[in-house]
Amino acid sequence: MYSSNHDSVRLAAWGCVTPLGDAAGTVAALLRGERALQAVPVLGREGGDPVPLALLGGRALDETAPPSWMATIKSRFRPVQEDGWGRPRRPVFVTSSNFGVGCLYAYRRSGDLTFLRYGALPNCVEWLRRELGWGESVTVYSHACVSAHLGLLQASRMIQAGLADEALVFSFDFLSPFVAGGFHALKILNADFPAPYQVRATGSIGLGDGAAFAVLARDRGDFAVLAQSLHNEMHHFTANRADGSGFTTCLAPVATAAAGRRLWLKGHGTGTLEAGRLECEAFARVFPGAPLVGWKGSLGHTLGSCGLVELALAVEAMRAGRTPGTVGSAAPVFADSVALESFANGAYDGVVCASNAFGGSHAAFLLGHA
Amino acid sequence: MLERFIQELRTDDPGPETPAATRERLKPRFAPGSTRRMTLLGMLAGAALGDLQPAGDDTVVYASAFGEGRALEDYLASFPTASPTLFQTSIHPSGVQQGLIGAQRSVRELFPHAGGRQLAVQALLTAMLAPAPGVVLVGGEERGTWLVEADAVSDRTFAYAVRLAREPGPAALGRLTLAQEEATGTLTHPAWFELLHHRRPFDGPAAEGWHLQLAWS
Repeated sequence: MYSSNHDSVRLAAWGCVTPLGDAAGTVAALLRGERALQAVPVLGREGGDPVPLALLGGRALDETAPPSWMATIKSRFRPVQEDGWGRPRRPVFVTSSNFGVGCLYAYRRSGDLTFLRYGALPNCVEWLRRELGWGESVTVYSHACVSAHLGLLQASRMIQAGLADEALVFSFDFLSPFVAGGFHALKILNADFPAPYQVRATGSIGLGDGAAFAVLARDRGDFAVLAQSLHNEMHHFTANRADGSGFTTCLAPVATAAAGRRLWLKGHGTGTLEAGRLECEAFARVFPGAPLVGWKGSLGHTLGSCGLVELALAVEAMRAGRTPGTVGSAAPVFADSVALESFANGAYDGVVCASNAFGGSHAAFLLGHA
Repeated sequence: MLERFIQELRTDDPGPETPAATRERLKPRFAPGSTRRMTLLGMLAGAALGDLQPAGDDTVVYASAFGEGRALEDYLASFPTASPTLFQTSIHPSGVQQGLIGAQRSVRELFPHAGGRQLAVQALLTAMLAPAPGVVLVGGEERGTWLVEADAVSDRTFAYAVRLAREPGPAALGRLTLAQEEATGTLTHPAWFELLHHRRPFDGPAAEGWHLQLAWS
């Protein structure tokens, strides 16, 4: 089995936006134990059961044409609109699990043709490209909740191969009745608020708006993605192998790269029970003693963008010197390593960030000082 | 310059064949009873990929501009009582996962591409930069129904799978190279499929900044 250690790259810039603010603002809110999730009707203006959703301030679940979230992207993400992105030597990697699918739902319900300009995946990416001033060199990945990791990995490989000077990874996922209705139909988005890694009778997730970017470079930036790894179990669409081997297989190359480091762990931690238990056990096996946190109990699951949103938060936590705990959860938890409270991270020299997705898909990277 | 050799190739162009006829044709390629919930694209991609038998350490690159068009249409139509099965099936990259899960075939790296005018070249770049010993590039589209007019799903059905290797070996079918150059071109996903299906050569700009050469043995 080959190692993924050569997929190391520096972070020249990064940022994210969540309902709690930008990366620094979100980390500060998480450290205060704030929860962005609120009970919202699952089908927006059409009603339905109240479920935990975290929407950007002032944004309704129902999509608008053009999508209202673009204003937030433009005002908060200056670096993605500058420096000639989307040229062959400065490629863009766009990742999402939703793209503009909320607009297809709105078109289906309203018949308003205007939504089609943003709804179909190619149309949505083309609209993004025009709005953000990018050239044609835009690569698009969509792999459910590990989508952002793929953009990071391929962007790293382009830089390492000398095919790009720098690369922009941009990920966005904004909620709509389409996705809320789907997870509600699967019964994992329900009336309960998520409590990642907590032992309780029923599991539940929350969903959240989120977008993030990272500028990757060969020799610029104080932080670096030092190793990256993927694994796809292909065991079942919505379940992992019962022995947790999928988690372990993905983490193994990252553990090799991290040998000798004192680490903390940012897990996927959506609030589902079986996956949470397996993830806790795998982390404890591969990184014994390392504290594990998850932030989706506050922010909700930002779906395909969670890997990049939580990368930005992890960097900010390292800069702040304090790691937010597992907001929304309480004892008992699946493993002693789960950190419910925040902790000082100055003595640590890296963090492993992991995400999981449908199909038993796993992704992880090691983040540390360059 | 990036270079890879085509070791194996499968293509499927149903043409005027009805979706029901295509499903019936492909059904024997899968385990009995396993196709009931598979989509047309899932069956096409699964059949093409199944012939190439990706190993655990192989990288699988999946290319589909629109993905599961029919499942998406049916899921949208299922509201306000959203269908959990159609939701799950409509999510990219369900088309390639259906066959791999059916075969219980784990893979280390799976890169599902979607959308974008440069889809074909970007998928080739992903395949060529993968450090894995073997790479399988699988792709396809599924003709939709009521969203075709809105240009929100594919208007054509096709699928392919290509096994790529770093060395030509004794029986390479063809050679692919990608080189950076100052040129602009667009090789669409259907056009890329036609090159593979008819084993036609190509030598020219295929995306902004990229020159593609495809030569057959």
